Amino acid sequence: MITLTLKEQPRVPLEAEAISPDVMAKLRHDEIRAVPMFLGKRQRRLDDFFEVEGEASEDLEIRGDVGKVKWIGRGMTRGRIRVAGNAGMHLGAYMKGGTIDVSGNAADWVGGEMSGGLIRIGGNAGGQVGAAYRGSLTGMQGGTILIEGSAGLEVGMRMKRGIIAVKGSVRDFPGLQMKGGTIILGGAELRTGAWMIRGTILSLRPIPLLPTFAYNCNYNPSFLRLYAKHLQIQGFSIPHEEGDGAYLLYSGDAAVSQKGEILIWQPRASS
Amino acid sequence: MNRADFIIYWGGNPADCHPRHFTKYTLTPKGKHVPMGRKGRTMVLVDVRETPSVRAADIFLQVRPGKDFEVITTLRALVKNQPVDQARVAETGLTLAQLQDLVGRMKNARFGVIFFGMGLSMTRGKHMNSAAVLALVAELNAFTKFVCMPMRGHGNVTGADVVMRWTTGFPFGVNLCRGYPRFNPGEFSTVDLLVRGDNDAALILGADPGATMPQPAIDHLARIPTIVLDPKVTRTSRLARVHITTAAMGISAPGTVYRMDEIPLPLRPILQSPYPTDEVVIRRIHEQVKAKPAWLPASFKKVPCA
Repeated sequence: MITLTLKEQPRVPLEAEAISPDVMAKLRHDEIRAVPMFLGKRQRRLDDFFEVEGEASEDLEIRGDVGKVKWIGRGMTRGRIRVAGNAGMHLGAYMKGGTIDVSGNAADWVGGEMSGGLIRIGGNAGGQVGAAYRGSLTGMQGGTILIEGSAGLEVGMRMKRGIIAVKGSVRDFPGLQMKGGTIILGGAELRTGAWMIRGTILSLRPIPLLPTFAYNCNYNPSFLRLYAKHLQIQGFSIPHEEGDGAYLLYSGDAAVSQKGEILIWQPRASS
Repeated sequence: MNRADFIIYWGGNPADCHPRHFTKYTLTPKGKHVPMGRKGRTMVLVDVRETPSVRAADIFLQVRPGKDFEVITTLRALVKNQPVDQARVAETGLTLAQLQDLVGRMKNARFGVIFFGMGLSMTRGKHMNSAAVLALVAELNAFTKFVCMPMRGHGNVTGADVVMRWTTGFPFGVNLCRGYPRFNPGEFSTVDLLVRGDNDAALILGADPGATMPQPAIDHLARIPTIVLDPKVTRTSRLARVHITTAAMGISAPGTVYRMDEIPLPLRPILQSPYPTDEVVIRRIHEQVKAKPAWLPASFKKVPCA
């Protein structure tokens, strides 16, 4: 295992895409210490900012508040990164496999355009979780993002595949222009599913909807049992039993297509 | 002016903020294809409250604050004859009949324009509200000619956008730290950088963020070395470490401004100024910076990055 301990908080954001199991897996201790990172416009060495222990491992542990360290685990395909503290922007962007665990909060663009792997955030996440970068057509294309707390704007913007599950509430525009995949929310502010083409958004609490979504029916989709089983292992529970209540199904966004679906959980009124 | 017979102002008050816009460009002039002038045109104003611009409008639609995105998305659905939920439309402050009438007029126009102001682009939803207008206008071109234009303020903002665009490829929110331009509003845009405290110096040119930005951003500007180039004493220059007084553009300094429709207009000075122009100051700073040694360390072992 490689342990990186932050010496002190950098004054400006540090861009550290080299903190990834793919890069570190074959490097000796002194090579890891010399890995380049960018502090603003200046190229620096990893050991300018971190104490390094261990070598040649796919298992990384980062200690300290790395809330200003961007691009951790960029494009990783295997291994595991654990962050004991907060993580900076673009955590696990473009990742294809492996696991990232963050015990604290994460900033914007968690898992931007990822195509595989698992990201678990213990605290809150920022905006644009699993989103497409500006000008890009597709966001997340696979994998799983699990957030224990809340999240910010534009969660799952233009995502195509994969699952994003947020236990808490998210801000405006979850599932903006989404093309597929599943977003599970503990509630949302405004404009859920705006301009969605396909895909499923599931909310466990009532949410305001755009006028372009039409009510279809009340039902308990059978595919949810599968999802519930899958997410149960990760500590997320989705209600799906007939006796507990039902989902209100809305389809839209009529401004773009009618194939997207929003499911809102409605518990059975206790008599 | 020559073609548009259907004009929408959305989230703006041109009668007060762009007082010559109606008479010089959009409403009253007789155009090549609109020979009747004002009588040949229809003007719709969409805003959250009644402003002096209402008097100039044929139709005034009062939207509830923060409901613009909902209205525009509904219009997009109606343009394609898709069903919408009547009760949720009513929550926006407009009725379905009003919106259907507007869509009918938009489709029947020969040439339509939407001018959108800060009431749209700076309220909840921000860039997505503007994106909604752009999408609506793009879709209306299946039926008739339709264009849109943002109503800009503050002197030469259009010029800054245009120059950034042809130098870096992006209009704003550009980061050049890695030696090539990267664009990510939210990450690299000024307000967000300052609010998060991600920069350790600031050079401010032709702007007064101390008067317009949120308090955390202003606090950060006061904390870091801030350099202001401005002819006048502004709120920003008061909290800056350095204030270089420059000649006022268009009065005592020559230059080019870009009009709102991106037409460059040359300016000739009418007065002499004892102060240097912004351009001279920046050129001299640049020469000094160029004379400094490169920051890249000489020997670095290349490590492959994923």
